Amino acid sequence: MDATHAGNLDQNLAIQIQGLTKSYGKVQALRGINLEVHQGEIFGFLGPNGAGKTTTIRCLLDMIRPDGGKARLLGLDPQAEPVVVQARTGYLPGEMQYYENLTAERQLRFFCAMRSDRVEWSYVRQLAERLDLDLKPQIKNLSKGNKQKIGIIQALMHHPELLLLDEPTSGLDPLMQQAVLGLLREANSAGATIFFSSHIMSEVENTAGRVAIIRAGKIVEIAETTSLTRRVLNRLTVRFKKPVDVTELGKLPGVELLTRSGQTSVTLQVTGDMEKLVQALGQLPILDLESERPSLEEVFLTYYKK
Amino acid sequence: MKRLWTTFLYTFLGLRGQILGWGLGLALYGLMVVPMYDALGAQQEQLQQMIASYPPEFLAFFGGDASSMLTPSGFLGMYAFSMMPVIISIFAVLVGSGLIVNDEERGRLDLIMAHPVGRSAFFFGRSLGILGAAVSIMLLGWLGFSVMLGGSSLGFDWGQMIVPFLSLLAQTLLYAMLALLLSMFLPSRSLAAMVTGVVVAASYFVSSLGFMDERLAALAKLMPYHYFQTVLSFQELNWAWLFTLLGISVLMMAAAWLSFLRRDIRLSGEGSWRLPFLLKHRKTT
Repeated sequence: MDATHAGNLDQNLAIQIQGLTKSYGKVQALRGINLEVHQGEIFGFLGPNGAGKTTTIRCLLDMIRPDGGKARLLGLDPQAEPVVVQARTGYLPGEMQYYENLTAERQLRFFCAMRSDRVEWSYVRQLAERLDLDLKPQIKNLSKGNKQKIGIIQALMHHPELLLLDEPTSGLDPLMQQAVLGLLREANSAGATIFFSSHIMSEVENTAGRVAIIRAGKIVEIAETTSLTRRVLNRLTVRFKKPVDVTELGKLPGVELLTRSGQTSVTLQVTGDMEKLVQALGQLPILDLESERPSLEEVFLTYYKK
Repeated sequence: MKRLWTTFLYTFLGLRGQILGWGLGLALYGLMVVPMYDALGAQQEQLQQMIASYPPEFLAFFGGDASSMLTPSGFLGMYAFSMMPVIISIFAVLVGSGLIVNDEERGRLDLIMAHPVGRSAFFFGRSLGILGAAVSIMLLGWLGFSVMLGGSSLGFDWGQMIVPFLSLLAQTLLYAMLALLLSMFLPSRSLAAMVTGVVVAASYFVSSLGFMDERLAALAKLMPYHYFQTVLSFQELNWAWLFTLLGISVLMMAAAWLSFLRRDIRLSGEGSWRLPFLLKHRKTT
C-alpha cells in the first residue's frame, strides 16, 4: 500500500479504504473496495460466503498484503505500523482456533502476555462471568459456543478503540447473543468503533447504524440500515372484491408476484418506484391493501438476484 | 523486546516435552554407551577378531577402521555419535518445519498475529525458542555422557565431552533452519519436512559412502554430515567447519525471516499445490 499519498486520507475516520484490490492467483478476491467507517459507529459488513469480507478484514490487519489501494485504521497505515494498529484494535476471526490442550484461562493469559500484559485480569474475569464462561476446562473439551466466548473476551479485554469482528455471535445461544451484543453496545458507548460481519440479519438490523453489502469483491451498497430497508423493497398484499386476473401486474417493471390466493388475493414485491403499480391497482376493485417493510435479509437477498 | 521475549518464552516452554524426550533419550544413551567401553575392553581380543572380520567398506561407512575402532575416540565415534545427527535431525526437521507453519496450517496464526507482536519479534522469538530447545537437548545429552566418565577408562573429561555436542548442535540447527526456510516457500509443513528429511538422509549416506568410493567423496563435501566432527578435543576441532555450518544456519534463518515478512499469512488450507498429473487423475475418477 502507498504510504506517501495519505493527503486524501481522513485521520478522523476509524477505517478508510480506497481502491483495495487483492487477487489469489487468477481469482480476484477484492476488486476495488471503497469504504469509510466513522469513529464511534457500529458498521455492519454483509456478504455471502466468498464475497471478500474476511479478505478485507485481513488486509486491514496486515495479515495479507493487498495488490493495490490504500487503507487506514485509526489514521494509521497497517503495513507501516502494524504493531500500533494491533494494539488499538480487537479482532475476532470467523474461525477461532486455539491451542486445544490449554485451558481457557491459560489461553487468555497467553493473549494477555502478547499484549505486553496491558490487560487487567480482573476485567477478563468480569467478561468471563458476563458470558458465563468457565475458564478452567481445557479448550478441547469446550463447545463451539464456549470457544467463541474466548474469542470475544480476547477481542474486548484490552478496551480497544476499534473492533473488527467476523460473525461475533456465531455458535452462541440466543441469550448469549444478547449478552455479546450488550457488551458491544457498551464498548461502543465507551467510544469504540465496531466493524462486524454477520449472517444474522436481525442482529445487524438491530445493532448496526450503517451497513455495506459486498458481492464478488465489490461493495454494491453502503447505506444506513433503516433507509436501506425502507428504500429498496416494499411488499404489498392486495385483496380484491371479486376475482381478478393479476398476471399483468407481474409484468410491470420492478414488480414480482410472490403469492396468489385464488384470484382475490395477491402478494407483490416491488423494487424501486411504485407509481406504475399504484396506477394499475387503481383500475382494479381493491378491497384492502397492506404494505410491509422487508427485513434486511430480504434486502440483502435482492442484491444476489441482481 | 518484551514481545520477542514473550514469544521466546512460550515457544521454549511449549517445547519442554521435546526437550525432555530428546534430551533424556540422549542422556540415557550416554549412560548406556560410556560403560560399554570397559565391558568391551574386557573382551578385547575377541572384539579385535570380530572387527577384523568386517569388510573394510563396512567400517569405512561408519567413518572408522579396524585400528581406530577400539580406541576411546573411535569407539565413541562409531557407537555413540555416528548416527546422532540423523536421529536428532528428526527433532530439527519436525520443529523447524512447524515453527511458524504449524500454527498457520491450524488456523491459529491469524489470531496470534492480530496481537501487537510484530512479524520480526514473533519470528525471532520462535527461532530463539528452537535454539534454546536444541541447546537444552545437547546439555542433557552431554550430562548423560559425562556422568559416567569418572568410572570409565575412556580417559575424557566433561569439558572434552562437550566438543562433539557442539558439532551436533551445529548440525541440528542447520537442519532446523533448512526446514524452517522450506516451510516458508513450500505449500505445506509436511512437504518441507519431507524435503529436509531427504536432505538429511542423502547427507548421511553420501558422506558415509564417500569414505568408500572416491567418486562420491567430492559430492560428500557438499553434504552437512561430512562436517560433523566426533573429535573430543578443542584442539582437534575444526572451528572453520563449525562456524561455517552455523553461518549457513544464520543465512537460512535470515532468508526465512525475509520471506515471512513479505508473505501473506494463509488461512488453513490455502496455497496448496496441485501437481498436473494429479489434477488429470482427479478429473478422470
